[in-house]
Amino acid sequence: MSFDFELLRDAIVFGLLLGCFYAAVSLGLSVAFGLLDVPHLAYPAFLVLGSYGTYMLYTLGFDPLVAGVILTPVFFVLGILMYRIYYETFEKRGADSGVRGLAFFFGVMFIIEVAIIQMFGVDQRTVSASYIGRSLEIGEMRIPNRLIVAFIVALVIAATLYLYLSRTFTGRAIRAVAQDEGALRLMGANPVAIKQWAFGIATATLALAGALLIIVAPIEPTLDRAYIGRTFCVVVMAGLGSMGGTLIAGIILGVAEEVVKIYGASWAPAISFGLLLVILAVRPQGLFGR
Amino acid sequence: MALELTVSGVEASYGAVRALAGVSLHVGNGETVVLLGTNGNGKSTLMKCLIGSVRPTAGMITLNIDGAAHDLTRLTTEEIVNLGVALVPEGRRLFPKLTVEENLMLGAYRSAARAKIADNIALSYEIFPVLKERRTQLAGTMSGGQQQMLAIARALMSSPTLLLVDEPSVGLSPLLVSQTIAAIGDLKRRFGLTVLMAEQNFNQALKIADRGYIIVHGEIAYEGKSRDELANNALIKELYLGAAAH
Ligand SMILES: Nc1ncnc2c1ncn2[C@@H]1O[C@H](COP(=O)(O)OP(=O)(O)O)[C@@H](O)[C@H]1O
Ligand SMILES: [Mg+2]
Repeated sequence: MSFDFELLRDAIVFGLLLGCFYAAVSLGLSVAFGLLDVPHLAYPAFLVLGSYGTYMLYTLGFDPLVAGVILTPVFFVLGILMYRIYYETFEKRGADSGVRGLAFFFGVMFIIEVAIIQMFGVDQRTVSASYIGRSLEIGEMRIPNRLIVAFIVALVIAATLYLYLSRTFTGRAIRAVAQDEGALRLMGANPVAIKQWAFGIATATLALAGALLIIVAPIEPTLDRAYIGRTFCVVVMAGLGSMGGTLIAGIILGVAEEVVKIYGASWAPAISFGLLLVILAVRPQGLFGR
Repeated sequence: MALELTVSGVEASYGAVRALAGVSLHVGNGETVVLLGTNGNGKSTLMKCLIGSVRPTAGMITLNIDGAAHDLTRLTTEEIVNLGVALVPEGRRLFPKLTVEENLMLGAYRSAARAKIADNIALSYEIFPVLKERRTQLAGTMSGGQQQMLAIARALMSSPTLLLVDEPSVGLSPLLVSQTIAAIGDLKRRFGLTVLMAEQNFNQALKIADRGYIIVHGEIAYEGKSRDELANNALIKELYLGAAAH
């Protein structure tokens, strides 16, 4: 087999854009799991819920990206309610809340899947918009516009979160809360309120990320399973809680998946778990972990 | 601003362990009062009662600010901090994975402090120049002495009127202990603070004390009405020799 340079080049460019999309769908988890230490296994289910929400608004005549923006505050409130339930029933009781929390989120994931199937059935759903289906031609390369949209939105979400977390009082408190809750209280902040707010933000990112998911490819109710590996891989590889790191880790995963696809497409879904295991073994603090 | 802290008959327990057995003390406006005691006698527990993280089972803690009395046993830590009380906790409790400057900014979280953030940061850097040099360094990677300076500066960022300091000398070399204690004395003067400091390093603590108390087994065993009275009483000599000099 001769080495095909063009194939590799396309895979890298494609992977880079896809990787930004992976980063966009992982940023909220980087807050929820990376900064707050909450084992949010239902995160990808909320992502898919965001896609179906987008689809629903789309059938009412909204552009998918606009739908994502409209759903953002709804998801923010949903995240706050979610944390409240998690806190009251698990975290407050302390000690082994981690493992039981995992069971809780696993349950939430199934409930969301079933609810989606009840409402929308198991068929694939897609949306259309002016930027879906066309591509940008650079020389002999064709880059689908939907990936460029995902790329831009990913950068916008990452930059917004980065600025919020580093420049605002609440943002800094969100980064501090898992390091020492008691000390944060001494600063005059209420750690539970901070975590609840942060969880709202983490969930809010999934409205736009969900819109991107259905823009990039058709969706189905159990698509969340493919994203458990991807989102956790990206967040752990990034180093828990680093927004810039999340962007780069997403790109690494995207490129790895696309390059491996040249040799055998059936391997692609295993890449994220493979990378996750390698990272945990070699550099558990992640690439940009402190 | 006139401020007065009155603690009377405070008791506190951890389950079956009784940590405070009726503590009464008083801190007047602008004073530096020290709470001396060797390990395990209830100093930190009292500090925690004052900041609202341990609830007394009996007794009263009243903070009088400009004629308004606040019952601290009924307020949350956030509310107490918002009254202008700051605690430099035992063990410093910095945010190790945030930078020096981010730790300082978090100190200014309460709304009354946010407006003064630029001034207070400048002042912190002036008093502790090493913090300025290291402002982008992660707090957890600094030496013990630098961490203690950061913990004190972080508390000052909240623009407190009452500063509580719990054993600033722990884990520091003798030279750093005396520098840290001197810095607290200096800050107190510059900010016009009222200070209550818990220490087991009697000699060093006495350097900045106006007066103080000795706590033994959760009870005030001696009250010294002046620095000299405190320094020259028999109990201090006994405890000090017993606890070994450092
Ligand atoms: N979290 C805790 N749980 C149980 N006992 C505690 C706890 N903290 C302190 N104690 C006990 O309370 C007593 C007073 O402790 P503390 O206030 O920390 O004293 P000090 O600060 O003077 O060293 C000690 O007997 C100590 O063992
Ligand atoms: Mg102590």
